[in-house]
Amino acid sequence: MIQSRRNFLRALPAITAGAALAPAPAIAAAAGEEDGRHRWAMVVDVQKCIGCQACTVSCIMENAVPENSFRTIVSTYEVHEGPRTNTYMLPRLCNHCANPPCIPVCPVGATFQRKDGVVVVDGDRCVGCAYCVQACPYDARFINHATGKADKCTFCAHRVDAGLLPACVETCVGGARIFGDLNDPDSKVRHLVDRNKMKVLKPEMGTQPHVFYLGLDERFQGHVEGAGTLWQPSGHGG
Amino acid sequence: MDSQIIEVLNVTRETSWLPWAVSYFFLIGLSYGSFMLTLPYFVFGRAQHEKLGRLALLGALVCGLTAPVALLADLHGPGRFMNFYLHFQPQSWMSWGSFFIPVYLAGLLLYAWLALRGDFAVRGQGGTSWLARLYRLAGRGGAAPRMAVAAAALLALAGAVLVALYTGMEVMVVHARPLWNTPFLPAQFAATAFAGAIGLSLLFNRFIGGRDSDLETGLNRLLVLALALVLVLGGGWLFASMSGVSPSHSAAFSQVAGMPQWQLTAVWAVLATVLPMALATWRPASSGLITGLIAVHSAWMMRWTIFIGGQSIPKTGAGLYDYHLPLGNDGLLGIVGTLGLWIALLVLMLEYLPWAGQAFAAGDKKATNALAANAIASH
Repeated sequence: MIQSRRNFLRALPAITAGAALAPAPAIAAAAGEEDGRHRWAMVVDVQKCIGCQACTVSCIMENAVPENSFRTIVSTYEVHEGPRTNTYMLPRLCNHCANPPCIPVCPVGATFQRKDGVVVVDGDRCVGCAYCVQACPYDARFINHATGKADKCTFCAHRVDAGLLPACVETCVGGARIFGDLNDPDSKVRHLVDRNKMKVLKPEMGTQPHVFYLGLDERFQGHVEGAGTLWQPSGHGG
Repeated sequence: MDSQIIEVLNVTRETSWLPWAVSYFFLIGLSYGSFMLTLPYFVFGRAQHEKLGRLALLGALVCGLTAPVALLADLHGPGRFMNFYLHFQPQSWMSWGSFFIPVYLAGLLLYAWLALRGDFAVRGQGGTSWLARLYRLAGRGGAAPRMAVAAAALLALAGAVLVALYTGMEVMVVHARPLWNTPFLPAQFAATAFAGAIGLSLLFNRFIGGRDSDLETGLNRLLVLALALVLVLGGGWLFASMSGVSPSHSAAFSQVAGMPQWQLTAVWAVLATVLPMALATWRPASSGLITGLIAVHSAWMMRWTIFIGGQSIPKTGAGLYDYHLPLGNDGLLGIVGTLGLWIALLVLMLEYLPWAGQAFAAGDKKATNALAANAIASH
């Protein structure tokens, strides 16, 4: 199972050879993610993040996210401790919670969780009421100005279903984002989650996030107490 | 070691419940509050409350008909409302709300029609124009039996209670926003809605109802009670927050208590409650314009603060999101447009709806029925 950009590249020759040899139905079956065999999750190794925002940009390019909207971003903080000043990076995205508060509030059933744990929005049904935007404790959702409907990270479900990595994982320079199947005992995310003390954002909300953080500073686990950013989007693209 | 955190880069999430939502919650609150004020006259037959009943009915109708338009506008595509009825979700308060609103509005319109049926008949008397025919059609049967009016009032009352319940619960259940997730919120919405409705009746009395000083006195006394309830609820909220009795209240309080802009808002809210109470007590027969305006303003400000202020608190990031009222559809134009629709509907109703009554004004039901019978016969 592919778990990070480097592993994926390492496995590429085998994958392409397999794809060339395997009959089409076999590929389709391998890509079938809706049968509940998988539980996709991400581990973010905060210490490996260099704040380059390559993930932010690749997500925008992959998913045609409108200008000044973000499905993922690396929140960046300046931390002053006595004479020392450090920079702290925290990649944020939808947590694809096991108990997602965005789903029960939806008045039309447009937002739902796939069997593989990915929380998605049915754009045909969404009415753009933004109730899910309010209910998400992580500010991970927004109203897409181009569609007037709820938008969010999908773990790049269209790529994952095709056997690829999410765009943000693919482009992560430091290998800080590790993606994989928690149901696969040999996957790297399974190993990392089992062998490390993982943290999640806002655990007290009971949402059971499936984006796990390695080396997360407690001061950044919930609402960050500090001075707010001066930069704000000046408008939105259409 | 002392540490200081400065957020250098983060996403600013825009307000997604727009001023349209504030307009909707404001108007629907004024509507169900006004509807309650119509009951003493139209259902319980208290003749001394006729003017109040008629002015409040006008308020309930004009606010009730404008409110859903603002709500539809907030969907960024009004035709999408159909999905609410195609895909009912019993676990979502908003989904229930999409059914409660039509129940309330249908009940209110039926109730208003039955309550004014005798007046319609009188208005249609004798004329041959299409308008007179319409009045005769609306007034067929003359003044409606008390039981029919009461049955329609019961339907509208059920709708009003359900609308008050869902509008409060819909916001209260959002755990992600501590400021909203407080059990006091639904009661605070309802109490400020009633105070606002009383304020609207005071203004209608001043500008439409011929400035009846008895009514002004009565409404001002009622306003004092409603505002006292608002104060008690506010005090309860503060007690629940500061005593630690309710963790959700404490979370809400600790999130905003230290911020100067929120402290100013709190002082403003208290002043906007205490000042009209003092005025209404001191000069009940002449302060209606000011107390009415402040009460309506408080109902608006409470909702504005909860919705727009609440959304300016980041869920994860530091500090506050800045909110600048956009000038277009999503901001000022939306508010002005909603107000424009409200005024247009009010003008149309004042012109074409026999809201003020004819023989009803004299409290003579028999005369109304006789006039209605004549009108039908001549038709």
